[in-house]
Amino acid sequence: MNLNIKATKNNTFDAIVVGSGMSGGFAAKELTERGLKVLMIERGHEIKHIEGYDTAMKQPWEIEHRGRTSNISAEERWANSRFWGLGSEEVVNHLTNDKENPYIEKRAFDWIRAYHTGGKSMHWGRQSYRWGKHDFEANAKEGIGIDWPIRYEDLEPWYTHVEKFVGISGQKEGLEVLPDGHFLPAMPLFAPEAHFKNKMMERFNRPVTVGRVANLTQPQDIHTSLGRASCQYRNKCQRGCPYGGYYSSLSGSIPAAMRTNRLSILHDSIVAEIIYDEQKKRASGVKIINQNTMQTEEYFAKIIFLNAGSINTAALMLNSKSNRFQNGFGNDSDQVGRNLMDHQLGSGAQASVEGFEDDYVYGQRPNAMYIPRFRNWGNDKQTAYMRGFGYQGGASREGWESGVTNDGFGADFKKGLTKPGPWSIRIGGFGEILPNPNNRIYLDSEKKDKWGIPMIVTDAAFVENDWAMRKDIIASAVEMLETAGFKNVTPYDRPTHMGLGIHDMGTARMGRDPKTSVLNSFNQVHDCKNVFVTDGAAMTSASCVNPSITYMALTARAADFAVKALKKRDL
Amino acid sequence: MNRREVIKNVALMLGGTFSAPTLMAMDNWENATNPNVSVAAFSLNSTQQKIVAEIAELIIPKTDTVGAKDVGVPAFIEMMLKDCYKAPEQQSFLEGLASMEKVKFLELNTDERRGVLKLLEQETKKMTGKITPFWRLIKELTLLGYFTSEAGLKASFEYVQIPGKLELIKLKPNQKAYAY
Repeated sequence: MNLNIKATKNNTFDAIVVGSGMSGGFAAKELTERGLKVLMIERGHEIKHIEGYDTAMKQPWEIEHRGRTSNISAEERWANSRFWGLGSEEVVNHLTNDKENPYIEKRAFDWIRAYHTGGKSMHWGRQSYRWGKHDFEANAKEGIGIDWPIRYEDLEPWYTHVEKFVGISGQKEGLEVLPDGHFLPAMPLFAPEAHFKNKMMERFNRPVTVGRVANLTQPQDIHTSLGRASCQYRNKCQRGCPYGGYYSSLSGSIPAAMRTNRLSILHDSIVAEIIYDEQKKRASGVKIINQNTMQTEEYFAKIIFLNAGSINTAALMLNSKSNRFQNGFGNDSDQVGRNLMDHQLGSGAQASVEGFEDDYVYGQRPNAMYIPRFRNWGNDKQTAYMRGFGYQGGASREGWESGVTNDGFGADFKKGLTKPGPWSIRIGGFGEILPNPNNRIYLDSEKKDKWGIPMIVTDAAFVENDWAMRKDIIASAVEMLETAGFKNVTPYDRPTHMGLGIHDMGTARMGRDPKTSVLNSFNQVHDCKNVFVTDGAAMTSASCVNPSITYMALTARAADFAVKALKKRDL
Repeated sequence: MNRREVIKNVALMLGGTFSAPTLMAMDNWENATNPNVSVAAFSLNSTQQKIVAEIAELIIPKTDTVGAKDVGVPAFIEMMLKDCYKAPEQQSFLEGLASMEKVKFLELNTDERRGVLKLLEQETKKMTGKITPFWRLIKELTLLGYFTSEAGLKASFEYVQIPGKLELIKLKPNQKAYAY
């Protein structure tokens, strides 16, 4: 897969895609399938689908620290290990070594990174929700940030296109707040969850559904032709799935692009700058630095897709200075790096569930239940905050871990822990964060990384709206669990920073006006139309639903536009 | 409940098996909670290792299935404390061991040892500090080490490495939990 491009002396392609993660993979697929010769540039090392998943089939006793984070991991991965479980050797070597790739936290930001083929698509939570109409309209209606230059209808066919290829298991519910998509069969709700669902509808008229998740419950030809098989219900997705049971760039988009024979991938290559041609007034290519050899090289293409991840895409633009773009590439608006958003998470409530003693589950569901947004929706009007949140969570039977806090030891205690324990339930909120120009990243004016690229500074934090919403996330979770009749309802509120949702977005937003936005309605940089940004950076607002399929849908739509424009010689 | 009452209750529960010296030693527990220990390089001496092994085995004894000692839990605990815990927890663990030495844990009979652990469990519940206390550390690491060891896991649960399907089922009488 890793072509020795230099030896070929042929550094010119139809398109360059910067990044191989969720949106970069999709860009490569869409562009190559439309006939373009594409170079994908990945800053990290190569991971091969299946054989690169070195921990995937390890049994519990083969994981030395049994899922715990070692002090060495915690030191090397000082940011990544802030997220639950990411410091474990099950996954830790697939996440970026933060000590070698440091950033500066002017305000603390939990930046979770995976510099390797597939990027974070290898580790994502796989929850896949369409945005609703309201998500595209809210900014304009409420006077927040700027208006989206597109509406739900613009993206709708592309959602379908993405969902068919990715393979998303879900239940059609006919809800305006959470539009249905093209689904594979839904996974079941567990007995206490089904009880909860009924109670919520009965008492609050609030729908509850099973999570919509990018795991194949019933693979179709479009999946099996890429070698993907049904989910095996191991729930060890984050290690990489040797069955291709969940979607990632590694299992889906990159193999699809490779089979066109039009994709080349360059690994270990950090794109340091976009090369701007002052005469032709277009970007001509990119300059890369090999992360191991420090060698630099230039690659050229008619169009460039930036999919480096929101923060790195913005940093690359800011670092690409020319006579035309003295303030950073495409940054006439001064919005590049600003409006950094995420979803807040880490708060909610848990409870013990009485009864359902006979109900049990075979297999591990790599999924949760989902409670769509109900705040500031319909007749609900909150005065303390704008927008809303969804909950993810679920019920499970306690395992031996309950023995840690429960009293007892000895033979009976030991035997008791071998039986499925009582059920418990937990729900946690995913809250929308509003665009705010003061939440941003920028480049440090002096400090550079080991490749001589200015270091990224994070300068973002929750504001009053987020804290007020958080209070309600907790209070509403308690109210709902209590109403369902569960016992020992306990709120939780883990201190987190922005970033921990791993949904960083907004740093090169789309908009109608080049004075206030970076990208137009087809994700083209306003002032340099042959460069497209289709990762999270493009987002004008954040919604409260998980963003990946929206990034992929925007990418597919932009790629279709780009290729048509190229054919018409408009680009 | 004060310390005296706790000890009395433990003794009653166990049928009054505590010897007077043990009770006195336990009564002096407070004096034993601040030993001068260094955690620069965490390791246990042979007495400490022995205490850890005996406590782990009391938590998960050998029955008709393997026990903590059989599956290497004592060495696992030491490795985990060294690799995954920071100085305050390591210190807390060493202090707990020092208390056990003070009450001459290794010289007690099994019932007396159980009594000490019951007392320890009750005492631990009253602790509110941020640093994980000794009992919680040793109990958690014993359970983790045992239930994720190959022999401990397979003896305790129905191990399914590749379920292949997801099914809502009804629990059969005495059915063991699945482990994956």
